[in-house]
Amino acid sequence: MTTPTPNSNDSLAKAGRYLTFTLGAETYGLPVLNVREIIRLCPITPVPRMPGFIKGVINLRGTVIPVLDLRAKFQMPEAVYGDRACIIVVQLRNPAGGSTLIGAIVDTVEEVVQLNEPQLEPAPDFGGPPETGFILGLATLNGGVKTLLDPEKVFLTEGLLTLTPTQFAEPETTNA
Amino acid sequence: MTTNNDAPHLPGVPPEAGERLGRIGEELAFVSPGEDDGLLPINHFLLDLEEMQGPGIPDAWTAGLKVARVWLDEILDGSGKFTEVSIRRLNEWHAYMSSVADSRADGRGLPAWPSDWAGAGANDVSEVVPSIVPATASGEEKELPCCLNLEEDLELLGEFHAESLELLQTIEQGVLVLESNPTDAETIHSIFRAFHTFKGGAGFLHLDAPRNLAHELETVLDLVRRSERRIDSGIINLILAGADALEHFTRAIGAQLQGMDPGSPIVVPTSEIIRRAKAAVRGETDPPSADPPGRSATDAPPTHLYPSTQAVAAPAPQPAQAQATHLPSPPVRELTGGDPAGGFVKLDTAKLDSLVDLVGELVVAQSMVVENPEVRGIESAPFVRQLRQLRRITSDLQSTAMSMRMVPVRGAFQKMSRLVRDLAAGAGKQVQLLLEGEETELDRNMVEKLGDPLVHMIRNSVDHGIETPDERIARGKPAQGTIRLSAAHQRGGIVIRLSDDGKGLDPERIRAKAVERGLIRGDADMDASEIVSLIFLPGFSTAEAVTDLSGRGVGMDVVRSNIEGLSGKIEVQSVPGEGTTFTILLPLTLAIIDGMLVGVGDDRYIIPTLSIRESFRPQPGMVSTIQGRGEVVSVRGRQTPLLRLGRYLGRPARATSLEDAIIVVVESGEAARGLVVDELLGKQEVVIKSLGQTFRHQNLLAGSAVLGDGSVGLILDVDTLVKTPTH
Repeated sequence: MTTPTPNSNDSLAKAGRYLTFTLGAETYGLPVLNVREIIRLCPITPVPRMPGFIKGVINLRGTVIPVLDLRAKFQMPEAVYGDRACIIVVQLRNPAGGSTLIGAIVDTVEEVVQLNEPQLEPAPDFGGPPETGFILGLATLNGGVKTLLDPEKVFLTEGLLTLTPTQFAEPETTNA
Repeated sequence: MTTNNDAPHLPGVPPEAGERLGRIGEELAFVSPGEDDGLLPINHFLLDLEEMQGPGIPDAWTAGLKVARVWLDEILDGSGKFTEVSIRRLNEWHAYMSSVADSRADGRGLPAWPSDWAGAGANDVSEVVPSIVPATASGEEKELPCCLNLEEDLELLGEFHAESLELLQTIEQGVLVLESNPTDAETIHSIFRAFHTFKGGAGFLHLDAPRNLAHELETVLDLVRRSERRIDSGIINLILAGADALEHFTRAIGAQLQGMDPGSPIVVPTSEIIRRAKAAVRGETDPPSADPPGRSATDAPPTHLYPSTQAVAAPAPQPAQAQATHLPSPPVRELTGGDPAGGFVKLDTAKLDSLVDLVGELVVAQSMVVENPEVRGIESAPFVRQLRQLRRITSDLQSTAMSMRMVPVRGAFQKMSRLVRDLAAGAGKQVQLLLEGEETELDRNMVEKLGDPLVHMIRNSVDHGIETPDERIARGKPAQGTIRLSAAHQRGGIVIRLSDDGKGLDPERIRAKAVERGLIRGDADMDASEIVSLIFLPGFSTAEAVTDLSGRGVGMDVVRSNIEGLSGKIEVQSVPGEGTTFTILLPLTLAIIDGMLVGVGDDRYIIPTLSIRESFRPQPGMVSTIQGRGEVVSVRGRQTPLLRLGRYLGRPARATSLEDAIIVVVESGEAARGLVVDELLGKQEVVIKSLGQTFRHQNLLAGSAVLGDGSVGLILDVDTLVKTPTH
């Protein structure tokens, strides 16, 4: 078993299990390898003077972990969280050893799916700056397309990420 | 369940695996049938385990992982929910894997593969199973001699000896009960526990032969306990034979403790008993006729119920007494050194950490119950009293658990005495080391990591700071130099100070060096203290620079990064000719602090109580505005700049006028600020939790803590606040 952490020039999603979830109308997938657990949306302690996509911190059974708003991280319009909103707790390995837990608010969690090679394709070239490194690839399943995310890049990259090609027209300066 | 009281012994299985396995165990404790809570975490930890590779991983471990993978995949691919069957299986699996992790790399002491697992989930499991059982059979013929480390383990051996005699007595008494009542669950359990405890003690003292034997017998008893084997005369004989062999070990240890033939290897034949135990585990019945069992199989007669002194290399005391009564209980308690309260237990730090975490959660859960409005509505005096008692016990438990992780810095400091002596002798200098505040307690994780930087700084101090006796006398100093190492609680954290009365740092030379190395421009405008701080820059010093650099500053970048690794800070002050002082500020991380909980709007923040000078509601006229400098509050003639916390943090505050607000005066070093908050919510002791990677670039918060209601409170970094411009 290996962690699907592709190097930058070989950004290919690996076959395996993915947890799918939705943000707005889109469906995304994260490797199950990196999903520690899913919890219900709970009160979040806001942390002052942090970027807007960092919603704050929560107490996960005694461990304090940050919670990101994936909508904000991807510069999607803000929305009111519904009853089905969840926090996906993602576990990321630190290069120096140990691991980091980060929570991500999503609209709904769908399911764990097995994705095989024929269903996977690399991230398309949207023609903009090569910022799509955080997309592992796309998967077609039951007629729908799911965007598979690279957890390390999504959660450990500081600043905002740009998802849709339309926004490439006016590039946001990230990592400022 | 085989709970492991002993220190983990994972020669074949990587230590991280033990940790992951523990986490699976934690998750398993919370799963319930028909739910999927915990499924992903367990899967995750299992994936971790599957990734771990290494030489010497027992086949049983690998096979166990495969079984669990099959089971988990069944759940993941199927209903996605746990069932009673799957939970029971996983719990069994966890117990099994724990004992595999606990067993020896050479295959000794591997637990039996549960027979009902083969094919339990899928076909491919059964393929891996047969390879396991034979693997344990190798290398049994050689008897392992045990050598005692009397010098280092004297006290421990004494304790082990006394405890073992008690355990053996328990076993023998238990056997008597079992002979008349073979199904007495409590007795079976007590025998099981006795072997388990014996195993733990022997394992800790590296007495492999008795440990392995005890392990095998424990396994047999475990099967009995779980009603998978019935007690019969074969098993009873086996237990007695095993207890006998263990008693030989114990008596031989006792003899050596009394000074008879110390250090000689103790050999007691165990392989035959181990073989029989394994046979019993596999379900082969031991011929009941083998009574006294095993005598013919070995050249010594150790397996007889009554010990004979000839069987052990060292003479065992009081054999006659054992012969005379069926329950040998020789009066050997005086060997233990008497004081039952003065013992120590070695403990896996991961277990300690998880204990501390769990207790923390207990405290939170406790206060959630107590604070629950419905519970508060109960007007019953006994109930209120009981709640109060619960609260008291919980809080005592917490402080005990916390104190277990705190150790005095003494250990780390005293090592430095030796270092100073050696270094000074080597350099032909006279140096004395004065220690202060050695009793200051620090989280043991920090004490450990403090060692390297301290060694480095002391080495620099002796090598480059303190002058030779001649030089010192020429400068009018005593021939003997002094290095002072102190620790104290200060500024809501811990301050460790290392000062010497050597020649100090030479700013001009440091400046020249920094320019030469391209670290600063030649015309940089810096004061002396900024210049001496340059020694912390990476690349400031190199190996060639070691001998000729004035003062010191060798490898200080490494020291700084070590300290910063502990989220600490290091500062240096130096007076040329008079000496140098390094101040290490260690933060609250890993420690507990007394915190003041303050409210700003809907938010709550924690201010370390140690940093608070005072707090009060301002009276009209106390606050004035100074042009271009912001507001100041005047308290007893002292002017302190105000910082409106809500505004500064960008969070809405409730108080509209200063008279509605509270001013909390905090200080750090020489600076102070009056923080304007809405209300004081109370003092409480909090456990600092790191905020982690995501917040590493901010210095506004020193950490966080879980509050009584389970939510997170943020701990303000007072050092940052007092340095914040107020205008």
